[in-house]
Amino acid sequence: MNAIEIRNLSKSFRGLYALDGLNMTVPVGAIYGFIGENGSGKSTTEKLICGHLVPDQGQITLFGRDYTDPGVRVRVGALIENAGCFPGSSVYQNLRMQAINLNLENPDAEIQRVLKIVRMEEHAALKFKKCSLGMKQRIGIAMALLGDPALLILDEPINGLDTDGMRIMREILVDITQNYNCTVLISSHLLGELEKIATHYGIIRQGKMMMELTAAELEGRARVFVSLKTRDMSGAKAVLKKTFQNVRTEGEYLRVYDVEDTESIVDALMKQGHPVSEIQKNKIGLEEYYIELMSAKEAE
Amino acid sequence: MARELKFESPSFGKRLKSMLGVDFYRLFHTPMYYIFLAIAAIIPAMILGTMGMENPQTGAAAAPLYTNVWQIIAADKPLYVVSGIAEYANMNMVFIFGGIMVSIFIGHDYKSGYVKQLFTTHAKKQDYMMSKTISCAFAMACMCVTYLLGAVAAGLLTGISFQVNVTSLLFALLGKMVMSLGWASLYTFLNVIFRKYFGVSIASSFFFGTGILIIGAAAILGNNSLLNIFLYGSSVFACLSATPLTLVVCLVCSVAWALIYNIAGTKILSKSDVY
Repeated sequence: MNAIEIRNLSKSFRGLYALDGLNMTVPVGAIYGFIGENGSGKSTTEKLICGHLVPDQGQITLFGRDYTDPGVRVRVGALIENAGCFPGSSVYQNLRMQAINLNLENPDAEIQRVLKIVRMEEHAALKFKKCSLGMKQRIGIAMALLGDPALLILDEPINGLDTDGMRIMREILVDITQNYNCTVLISSHLLGELEKIATHYGIIRQGKMMMELTAAELEGRARVFVSLKTRDMSGAKAVLKKTFQNVRTEGEYLRVYDVEDTESIVDALMKQGHPVSEIQKNKIGLEEYYIELMSAKEAE
Repeated sequence: MARELKFESPSFGKRLKSMLGVDFYRLFHTPMYYIFLAIAAIIPAMILGTMGMENPQTGAAAAPLYTNVWQIIAADKPLYVVSGIAEYANMNMVFIFGGIMVSIFIGHDYKSGYVKQLFTTHAKKQDYMMSKTISCAFAMACMCVTYLLGAVAAGLLTGISFQVNVTSLLFALLGKMVMSLGWASLYTFLNVIFRKYFGVSIASSFFFGTGILIIGAAAILGNNSLLNIFLYGSSVFACLSATPLTLVVCLVCSVAWALIYNIAGTKILSKSDVY
């Protein structure tokens, strides 16, 4: 059984297609990184799953049930665009309203539990409008976590967070998937951050799913490269270009792609009088993989 | 430790109860509700209090608008054709201010984004319409009570007559309170239509709340009891000569319109994007 299964989903706004026959599969227990350019259809997909938008056509099932089934909806939590809290009410009051909405048996204990998870126990009495951006994001997560959700849908939850906030958010997400059997669908432009937690990826482009892959598959597909430093970078680059197909300058380093043998590179440079001061084997990350993928699509 | 995934569908009753719980919690925990209760109490007090004031230039007292304190609750008889402010200004004004309150109440759901939280979980559009109608009807009925208290307090201070047929007064009061349900459903419906435009929703609530359309129709039709099929008509019908039939008319009209507006609102919400 999959947590989310989307088949042939389309949604248009005033004749313009935001989603055009999207297919998507999110396995139970996954942290699914949902990636795409601005306007590619990520938020529209998330809003459709949450029932905020009405699809033109297509099918959405959550845990094998129709997505409108209240039985499954009651176990969906979301943070889309903002926390959805009343600014004049306190953090506690906002959480209390959601606890009432979810008909929780022991709302106070549940509120304390989620506040502890997002590390906001000290701020329950604070008015929502007085909270910082990072706190608001965490409150949004707390709102979504109330009532033991089986599925969390998070739209750019790490946007605007400082380094510490991002770390906390990462830890929270890993914790809830590992300890609470929760599936997470998360979209973010911060691919470096996403890479640290995601177990699956979906890459969307122009309203269509371009590719779905696991973190292990991404690792397998990621190109290897050797990065190095010499005194005369342009001279070294010219030398390497004679032997290797893909040589690029990246900041202070030269990168030789699709090569794992560092010795052959060092030998080639030494023969031409370019001693190597630093050399390291690497694999491209999610961000570079995504950029390469998009560039290839643009070129098509 | 991974927990088992169980999915139990909450019944309609359970869903409505939780939605009502949210709305009443919000109502009682936000200053807006108490401000509107106070406004409802102040209006009759202000009108009665300023009624006998002297003209500073001539020194003559203005002609009293009301000879009896209960006339600020309801007119002596159903007057759909309005010839003066005294015939218009009564407890029906609560429904105008109530409309603004409903617009703010529902508008904040959309403005804050809370409506997303509601619809992400198990809440259905029909639950939303019903819950808003019931909670706002309750708030307006409470405004009717504070309006009554304000009128009585001002009446005591001004020394105006309290003579009345108590039974008719009770039926009039109950009739107007019952009408809160119909009015609340109209405002909920209007706010669902104009959910993306906060200002328009307030303006439309105010426009319909004044009963201007029925007053206009009455100018053509005269004091015709057919106008009782409308919310404003029934609200006027609940006057100081009210009988048990008045209450029945108010009840039928209020519930019928509440059903119509709830069904229409649910259809609109179901077929369109939430925001």
